[in-house]
Amino acid sequence: MLNENIIEKVIDKALSNGADFAELFVENTFNSSIAFNDNKTKQNIVGNDYGAGVRVFYGHTAIYAFTNDLSEEALLKAADAVSKAAKGGDVVTSIDLTKRDITNIHKVIIPNNTIAKKEKIDFIRKVNEASRGYNNQISQVDIRFMEKNQHVMIANSEGLHVEDNRNYSRVYVSSIASNGTEKQVGGEGPGRFAGYEFFNSIDPVELGKETARVAVTMLNADYAPSGKFPVVIDNGFGGVIFHEACGHSLETTAVAKGASVFVGKMGKKIAFDKLTAIDDGTMPNEWGSENIDDEGMETKKTVLIENGILKSYMVDKMGSLKTGFARTGSGRRQSYKFAPASRMRNTYIANGNDDFNEMIASIDEGIYAAKMGGGSVSPGTGNFNFSIGEGYMIRNGKIAEPVRGATLIGNGADALLKISMISDNMEMAQGMCGSVSGSVPTNVGQPAIKIDEIIVGGRK
Amino acid sequence: MYSKEFETIFAYAKDKTDDIEILLSAGNSFSVKINEQNVESFNYADSKGIGVRIITGGKVGYAYTEKFDEETFKRIVDEAIENAKYTEDDDLVIMENYPENKDCPNVYSKELDKVDVSDKIQLAKDLEKYAKQADERVFNVPYAMYADGKSYSRIANSKGLDREDTQNYAYSYVGVLSAEKDDKRMGMDFLITRDFSKFDPKKMAEVSVKKSTDLLNGLPVNSGKYPVVFNNEMMATMLATFSSIFNAKSVQEGRSLLKGKIGQKIADEKVTIVDDSLHPEGFSTSAFDSEGYPTEKTVLIEKGILKTYLHNTITARKDGVRSTGNAARGYKGTLGISTSNFMIEAGEHKEADLFNKHDSIIEIVSLQGMHSGANAISGDFSLGAQGFLWENGKRKHSLKPFTVSGNFLQMLSDVEAIADNFNFDISSNGASSVLIKELNISG
Repeated sequence: MLNENIIEKVIDKALSNGADFAELFVENTFNSSIAFNDNKTKQNIVGNDYGAGVRVFYGHTAIYAFTNDLSEEALLKAADAVSKAAKGGDVVTSIDLTKRDITNIHKVIIPNNTIAKKEKIDFIRKVNEASRGYNNQISQVDIRFMEKNQHVMIANSEGLHVEDNRNYSRVYVSSIASNGTEKQVGGEGPGRFAGYEFFNSIDPVELGKETARVAVTMLNADYAPSGKFPVVIDNGFGGVIFHEACGHSLETTAVAKGASVFVGKMGKKIAFDKLTAIDDGTMPNEWGSENIDDEGMETKKTVLIENGILKSYMVDKMGSLKTGFARTGSGRRQSYKFAPASRMRNTYIANGNDDFNEMIASIDEGIYAAKMGGGSVSPGTGNFNFSIGEGYMIRNGKIAEPVRGATLIGNGADALLKISMISDNMEMAQGMCGSVSGSVPTNVGQPAIKIDEIIVGGRK
Repeated sequence: MYSKEFETIFAYAKDKTDDIEILLSAGNSFSVKINEQNVESFNYADSKGIGVRIITGGKVGYAYTEKFDEETFKRIVDEAIENAKYTEDDDLVIMENYPENKDCPNVYSKELDKVDVSDKIQLAKDLEKYAKQADERVFNVPYAMYADGKSYSRIANSKGLDREDTQNYAYSYVGVLSAEKDDKRMGMDFLITRDFSKFDPKKMAEVSVKKSTDLLNGLPVNSGKYPVVFNNEMMATMLATFSSIFNAKSVQEGRSLLKGKIGQKIADEKVTIVDDSLHPEGFSTSAFDSEGYPTEKTVLIEKGILKTYLHNTITARKDGVRSTGNAARGYKGTLGISTSNFMIEAGEHKEADLFNKHDSIIEIVSLQGMHSGANAISGDFSLGAQGFLWENGKRKHSLKPFTVSGNFLQMLSDVEAIADNFNFDISSNGASSVLIKELNISG
């Protein structure tokens, strides 16, 4: 992307005031998005994100600058600015880069932007027609078709020089059911770290129908009850509970400052004995996968919790310097506009051996959350929330009538210990996770789990 | 600024498009974060981007770039033309040389640009220092930061419209964690301003610490229906979360509860909601919107009656009304509608009076999960919350985290009293504390 000579000059300049470490991140990204609703292709946009970020470390201070101008002059100016923001030791090193080829573990068959727009719009129309055809209560279908091709170059003062090419494909469908006075929504957003072959692998008719089914079911549901209940959370997006209740608090971004409920818990029991949780960037073509992280390190499979015992945090370079734990290839960022931070990739609770039907049968009165919406957490207090997208009452050991409109709240340190059963139907679902280094693609996942008691924020 | 870029694009697009609009944003920003009296991070940003919206054969296409060279500029025009071919929208889109808004409040301070970096760092350090000193129950100050920036935008179209705007801002926030027994709570305070001398780190630190420590030792709440007071900050959050119900595009596309309700009473008569792009104290203040259309103060709900939706020229034409100057678009996005300085007007009560209106009231001072637990299409919400139980006009004790649920439109009809403590939040949504007759509380 850039001449190696220029990269070396920029890193040398960034080190020139005695910095401990310097890094250059360059990005050239092509985005394409089609927005469809009212049965029509409404908006169509393509664009080019382009820029570079220079980062230096002085001890535990990180300094970052970015620019859209990739001329040698502008990059040297940015490097000069970061170098002068602090003063390091007298030893100023000069660097020697070695370009390293990375192993591509996520094959792309049909690269983005090689398929005609008409084919994409045909796909969208099939989703739209399937949703509207499902039920005459479907009043609107919103579809967003997104492709992204991100080319990155990362070089640093340790001699690292790598490039990678990342293809992302995702379609987001939201169907609205209406009965004249009320409206409810059903949404699905499947995506992969892959090219157009991903769209060829999904059935647009099933996708459309599924969003319509949830919207109509919820339109005809009563409100959920209020109070404390046992809850069964099913697989797929249900994994958002681990993501919020625990995942963010295991990022060194929170741990290094002491602003996490899991500080000092390494090697200790923090969850139910049968709970094993993993954050894995190596799963082929999964939405949260990568070849290298945004600090140029190969991505890894990281076991976070094994049989209830805390085994690892998610560690980026600065997090490693501050906490002493080894890097886990978790340094991620939305774009050159952000300095990297420790972030999740594909994060999931591993399969257990409890039978799903026995889980339901074990509850007299409770909630079955078939699909979850999003959530959030305050890592410092551990208080989290997430919403139910498709819910049902459990009565006398059976799944009963649908219920809607409930958020579940709890405390991370507490909720993990209240998990009492884990099934064997692990599945993942796609999301965009927002934090200090921007919005990055992540998978959440789990098999169905039972939580003995959680606060359900219903209306009855 | 950037005249050469605009000329290049206009010249290339002249014979290829019926009309073209060019939107440019550029700016720089700075931020510093402090941890344990050391600089945790410095960030400097210098960014720019340019987006085109073109009309050809009545159809609209978009493209953008952050790479600035002649070849790329030509390419985005061609890409936008190609994109337009696949657009099926039948809304009539017209570009015009709209009149200019003569009187817009000043949104730029020369003085702010002159503040020395060392003063900014000291401010952030002081936030952390004072927060740690304020109360021994404070065990961590995860956020102590200062940021500022300057942004330039220019919009021009092939009908001769050409507007530019330069703004700057500075903001700071401090977030503290305190603990007592097993209870841990977070408290935050912020300030956004163009006058650096307004930052008072001691006061901000003390406010955030008090917000945190007041919440300690929470007791469980009995689930049920309660009268609820949202403090001014949380009322602004609620208002912002549901602002899209006023968006004419959402209305026309069947995504708003307010469809067909113009002229009807949809809220208690104490409720007046306005959007004012020209408010001198807001930070979403601008003389023109993202079509270059002049902005204004728009009354959305007047004494409970729905008066209008928020429009750009496309939705306005469809409804046979005038645009309210709320067109919104970044260079990377497509044309939509958004609020500017968006607010519920202040009432006449002192905040303390609100708590005298019922024997038992729940005060909400913090909300979580706005992006997942609130549904602007149905109006339903179920949110994580923190706050206090009030009895007979006295704040009795803090509550363990609980949920609050209801429906936003119902809530507007159930407004019982509005206080006079109006305040803007960091995103220019403004409100006073508001008493709601009844909402569901679960804990």
